Amino acid sequence: MTSRPAIAIDIAKLFAERGALPVDVPVLQPADPFLDMAGEDLRRRIFLTESETGHTLCLRPEFTIPVCLDHIASQAGTPRRYAYLGEVFRQRREGANEFFQAGIEDLGDRDTARADARSVADAHALISLALPGRALTVTLGDQAVFEAVLAALGLPRGWRMRLARAFGSDAMLETALADLANPPRNGQLDGAVALLAADGDGEGLATHIATEMEQAGLSASAGRTPADIARRLIEKVQLRSVRLSDDAFAALKSFLAIDAPLAGAASALEKFAADAHLSLGEALEKFAARADAIAAHGLGADTVRYDAAFGRPLDYYTGLVFEIAATGNSPRVLAGGGRYDRLLTLLGAKTPIPGVGFSVWLDRIEALREALS
Amino acid sequence: MSITVALPSKGRLKEQTLDVLAKAGLAVSLPSDERKYHAHVEGREDIEVAFLSASEIAGEIGQGAVDLGVTGEDLVRETLTDWEQRAEIVARLGFGHADVVVAVPDVWLDVDSMADLDDVAADFRHRHGRRLRIATKYWRLTQQFFSGKHGIQVYRIVESLGATEGAPAAGSADVIVDITSTGSTLRANRLKVLADGVVLRSQACLVASRKERGAKAEALVAEIAAKVRTATGG
Repeated sequence: MTSRPAIAIDIAKLFAERGALPVDVPVLQPADPFLDMAGEDLRRRIFLTESETGHTLCLRPEFTIPVCLDHIASQAGTPRRYAYLGEVFRQRREGANEFFQAGIEDLGDRDTARADARSVADAHALISLALPGRALTVTLGDQAVFEAVLAALGLPRGWRMRLARAFGSDAMLETALADLANPPRNGQLDGAVALLAADGDGEGLATHIATEMEQAGLSASAGRTPADIARRLIEKVQLRSVRLSDDAFAALKSFLAIDAPLAGAASALEKFAADAHLSLGEALEKFAARADAIAAHGLGADTVRYDAAFGRPLDYYTGLVFEIAATGNSPRVLAGGGRYDRLLTLLGAKTPIPGVGFSVWLDRIEALREALS
Repeated sequence: MSITVALPSKGRLKEQTLDVLAKAGLAVSLPSDERKYHAHVEGREDIEVAFLSASEIAGEIGQGAVDLGVTGEDLVRETLTDWEQRAEIVARLGFGHADVVVAVPDVWLDVDSMADLDDVAADFRHRHGRRLRIATKYWRLTQQFFSGKHGIQVYRIVESLGATEGAPAAGSADVIVDITSTGSTLRANRLKVLADGVVLRSQACLVASRKERGAKAEALVAEIAAKVRTATGG
């Protein structure tokens, strides 16, 4: 076991001052929730083991999911802010396999602008405490603003979903945009099916598909249903004749190029929307409210930037995403955070619970502290 | 000083391997007792032969337990982490052809490509309360192809140790990643390969371990590699 970082005591005090409850979760966790939420890619980066009863377990690779699961299981009331500091375990090519993280998960606060701003401010305060005097840059992105742009451009649902998924990955976004500008050809459909699809006859198509499924011995309810397949086939046939217009393409490009100090970010978005003749509605209002709330925490305009293309390709992030890095020759991300309003429902909460949180890489901070001293 | 070459211990793969080696002037003198798993190349006391199951050979190469081996490229890429650092394909042998492919039920009329599958996978959780399941014995290749190459994150792999093509009908998975040579098993199970769903075109290969060895052993490995390449026209 690596030793607890010396700064841990000060961090615990900071959490207490900021009204976050310390929480402890077991090191050994069921593996399924992590693989379900983050994807199979995580499998080779975590330490897996099996219980005698055949359950797959892992050493916790992070805190957000266990803290949320713990919250759901305890049926605790909200809003509630949980603070943690402990070891996480990951298989890494470089660096240690166990290292400390600290962070706060803020669950159930309906005032999202306030909660978002507090999360950014808490993360910033934690790092400033550990690295006094060090200049930090905060980068913000917003999944909701991106989705609002897609909706305002009038893109069909299938395209919006595809682009929203690619948000945050330049390579995936490039590929998706190229496909939309010039859709790949579909496979040939046989005559009867092609006709039903062209007519948008969902019921007829579903009946046809149900018969084929029965012949193939596929259950009509265990996986994709005849209605699922019919719906998507009709959508796909309709999209075949649509092209992403040059205007829409140009608008998306100019949106993704927005990179501004937070103080000017809302007006940059307004200007973009006006130039492109789009209305971003509620997403823009929420963005502006959050920007004000962050400024009210005293985070200067030169510290926080909004990068319109910054996102995380994970489907439970819904709004704010952010990271904090030390300014310098080799900027390294010291903290990452974001809003995950879909996560608790995915993990089994009966009612939707909004959440926002951040995590700080204490090993990276320790390395910087050592380099300084 | 001698080096060890691991060869498949049975079946057609064994016969074809022995044929190629004979053509390369490296005929193996088989032990009189079929149950013995060690042999020599005729007239070459410096080349030992170990017969192993094809699935073990990749692992033995990776650990440096043998110097050379004949096995499928699929098994090398699947079995070894960072395989290129531990092994090198020195000759492709022209037999044992098989493709590792992504296949979905024929009746998924709306799915022709990986991009389609990405859409379906993303929507799946929302509609069914679980992730799309992929049955395969190729965990590593599947992850690299789905997550690495196509940026598809949200799916679950369910391990399948046999009859993978039956998994969709059995209800244990939605999609499969499996090996096929003619496609007939897939067709019989009413599955179709996606247009861009070929993960790997595999065949039997002569593979060298990248372990440390002396100059003489190194020269011997190079000699065998060159002879086999000449015999296979590669």
